[in-house]
Amino acid sequence: MIALYLVAAIAVFAAIRVIIEKNTARKLPYTNVMNFAVAGALVLLLDHPLSIVAAAAYFVGSTLEANAIASTYAGGMKR
Amino acid sequence: MIVALEVAFGLVALLGAVSTALIRDSYGKVISLGILVAGIVPFIVDRGYLDVAIAVSLIAPVATIFVLMVVRREQA
Amino acid sequence: MLGEFLHILAAATISWILFVTVDIFFRLPEAGGVSGASAVARDIEAGGGALAGGTMMGNIVCSPDASAGTLLAACGVYAAGIPGGLAAALMVFVGNRICHDPGYAGTTGAVLATFVVYAFTLVGFSATDFIAGMVIAILTIQGLSHTHASRLLDRLWRARQ
Repeated sequence: MIALYLVAAIAVFAAIRVIIEKNTARKLPYTNVMNFAVAGALVLLLDHPLSIVAAAAYFVGSTLEANAIASTYAGGMKR
Repeated sequence: MIVALEVAFGLVALLGAVSTALIRDSYGKVISLGILVAGIVPFIVDRGYLDVAIAVSLIAPVATIFVLMVVRREQA
Repeated sequence: MLGEFLHILAAATISWILFVTVDIFFRLPEAGGVSGASAVARDIEAGGGALAGGTMMGNIVCSPDASAGTLLAACGVYAAGIPGGLAAALMVFVGNRICHDPGYAGTTGAVLATFVVYAFTLVGFSATDFIAGMVIAILTIQGLSHTHASRLLDRLWRARQ
């Protein structure tokens, strides 16, 4: 049970760090920490075989989102 | 769900919503929308609606990519 | 209570060593896989960090690599044993291809982590310890101080060369 509390606390900490950081590209690693914490919390909350699929879908989806944001940001910087 | 966890994930969702409203930079707004979704998904999973959670976590990034097209056109 | 906490700390150390070793073995600090990874690396270097470590952090952000493989493999072992871990490895492989990443770091890391986590569950650890431990490990790399973490990764990358 302590694992779940720890993961939730890390999610809150990472969300606060994302909001206070000013630089767009340096926000993304903090977002990544939050995604790890939430994906871990999904499996810890509900012990069911399908929850691996939910965690993997959430994680891959949010990584794709971060990838798209970083690529667009890089393209916008070049112009 | 345990009350402390509800408070924690609810705080994440609220922080995402408030920062989406307040941040002026357009990339920052998109990242804050990601925080909002991250706060919502644990509540869906806790009720047992795993299929809904899978659908939400696949639809939200696609929506973000469409928003990003608008952001890129504004910045160029 | 205290014993579980020590188990989580030990699991964090083990998974930290595992994913950093796999990532450096697959040459993640060498070049940015996509253009976004290079952008993250450039901004971390502008903030006082090292370029090679920043590139590795950018690659971790932009594509599921060995750290994501370790987390999902631990989740799979917790929910469904060894078949769950291998299913997680398959999903990491699909996620790599979705994100335009040609490498095999994520898949290799997930398969390795499945067997490591399963071996440690036989000794007395629980798979939940590894889930929380992996979250702590990624927090130490990406979440505390980008400057110090990128310098540490840069030093490890030079030692490998």
